[in-house]
Amino acid sequence: MGFFDLFKGPDAATLAAREAGAARHAEVVNALHAGQLPASTRARLEGARAGRLPWIATLTPSELLLTRSHGLRPIAAVSSTCWLHYGFSWTNGHAEGWEMALQRLGEEARAAGANAVLDVKMRTLPVYVEDSMDFTLVGTAVRVEGLPPSADPVIATVPALEFVQLLEADVVPTGLAVGAHFEWLSDWRGNATRQGWRNVEATALSNLWERVRQRAHAQLRQNARGRGNGVLAHLNFSQMFEREMGENQPRQYLGRHIVIATTVDARRGVPIPHDIKMVMDMHAGATPLTGTTRHHQSYATNDEEGAI
Amino acid sequence: MTTNLPQHAQERLKGLRSAANSTGVFTSDFSVNEFLLVRKAGFEPIGLCVGSCVYHVGIQYGVWNRNQELDVLSKAMYHARELALTRMRAEASQMGADGIVGVKLTIKRLEWDEHLLEFIAIGTGVVHGTGHKGFRAHDGGPFTSDLSGQDFWSLLHSGYRPVEMVMGSCVYHVAHRGVLAGLSSIGRNVELENFTSAMYEAREIAVERMQAEASAAKAEGVVGVDIHEGSHGWQTHVIEFFAIGTAVLPLDQEIAPEKIADPIMVLSVND
Repeated sequence: MGFFDLFKGPDAATLAAREAGAARHAEVVNALHAGQLPASTRARLEGARAGRLPWIATLTPSELLLTRSHGLRPIAAVSSTCWLHYGFSWTNGHAEGWEMALQRLGEEARAAGANAVLDVKMRTLPVYVEDSMDFTLVGTAVRVEGLPPSADPVIATVPALEFVQLLEADVVPTGLAVGAHFEWLSDWRGNATRQGWRNVEATALSNLWERVRQRAHAQLRQNARGRGNGVLAHLNFSQMFEREMGENQPRQYLGRHIVIATTVDARRGVPIPHDIKMVMDMHAGATPLTGTTRHHQSYATNDEEGAI
Repeated sequence: MTTNLPQHAQERLKGLRSAANSTGVFTSDFSVNEFLLVRKAGFEPIGLCVGSCVYHVGIQYGVWNRNQELDVLSKAMYHARELALTRMRAEASQMGADGIVGVKLTIKRLEWDEHLLEFIAIGTGVVHGTGHKGFRAHDGGPFTSDLSGQDFWSLLHSGYRPVEMVMGSCVYHVAHRGVLAGLSSIGRNVELENFTSAMYEAREIAVERMQAEASAAKAEGVVGVDIHEGSHGWQTHVIEFFAIGTAVLPLDQEIAPEKIADPIMVLSVND
């Protein structure tokens, strides 16, 4: 493009491309509003479902081997996003965002004719944009040989290996559940954090924490109820802040807790089919017997703070 | 191949949901492998148990040139953890758990106040699958243990059961060296004997306290002990020695050593 071209208006081809782009965006937004998939995504997934397009899997070759040996066939990589602005609550926004992403992922899995989506990973871009965050899920839709497509595919936020381990034990990972709760505490008496030489429990703050955590966990149960009879909560996140409110105003404390879990549908009392054998790995390197593992879990959540 | 999958799992994959979950929802922070192993060991998770405590740690300074325990700090660190653990255990009792597996104990500093520490204890309450009550602690309440699901399985198969998490804390002020002592060691390798002896004494106090707790719990031994040295925002010469482990007792029917399967030796060909 020459220098003088800068002063010309865009040519017909550029304009057409722009228009097409805008139309695509509008189409995506309209589809999502209507709770449907964008047309291009639907076309891709239906193509993969019918075998017209090659299958796509996020699995490694050894994971592929494992899933194939259990009668699973990959269909397509599926993904969903909800970019959410936190309006009134950051904490509750997390519950809403993941819920929406989960719904949309289920929609893609249905379009792909899947029985399950496995290896589902939670992703978020490491950028900060105006009090908002993207809630993205990525996984592989699979079909179980010999079963008809499911109207309600299970969404397994576990890797392929764990997925088949669970299935063999008659436990089906079904989706995500989120419990999120926050509360403000106004310290009217000014004694939430007493100063002094003595050892004392900061009871008001302890109580705030107990309440916030218990409610978050209660909400987790509530949220999980529709999806299974248990959860494996892999993510517990909590923060507490103090806010000065100016002269003659009580200080305020914010406690918030988010717990995110994989829901499972577990048949109680079913024996685990496999024997557990103790093995000793003769390979040089990390083994649980050389004491290199973290057999004390006490540090697991906040190493950097110098736990215990 | 699908015939190998259990019936219930197949139905769920077809999109059929089992009727209302009569058992209610259990919560746990187990990984998949831990979940399977705890069930393999004959236990079922029932709910996450949480206890927390925000604690204002009092103030105490050591004498500059003396080795001494700072008992105000020792007591604070112990008392706050105990409160968090007790609350967690109370939650477990309430839900009728026989024990708590995989307890994680963490400490956070609250940034706006250097004297405030937050202690959190989280673990998964479990019940014995067939209602055997023999796994409870000596006081009839749930046992507590910081062992992972994997360690829990291994412990039971070595003929022991967890009874109680035991701990001992000692916050110690290590004496500064005098100027003369510093001068006399210039250019020489010398052991700083008072530093060494301070470490010995502080560590010993922490371990003894933990051991006393184990005796009180009528345990035979303590497994998975960690002696942790840490500082929680104190001056450089103030160190906390913290011993923590799981007190254990033999199972009702102790397993004879020859009944415990030898591990199979394998050589992984992975890198």
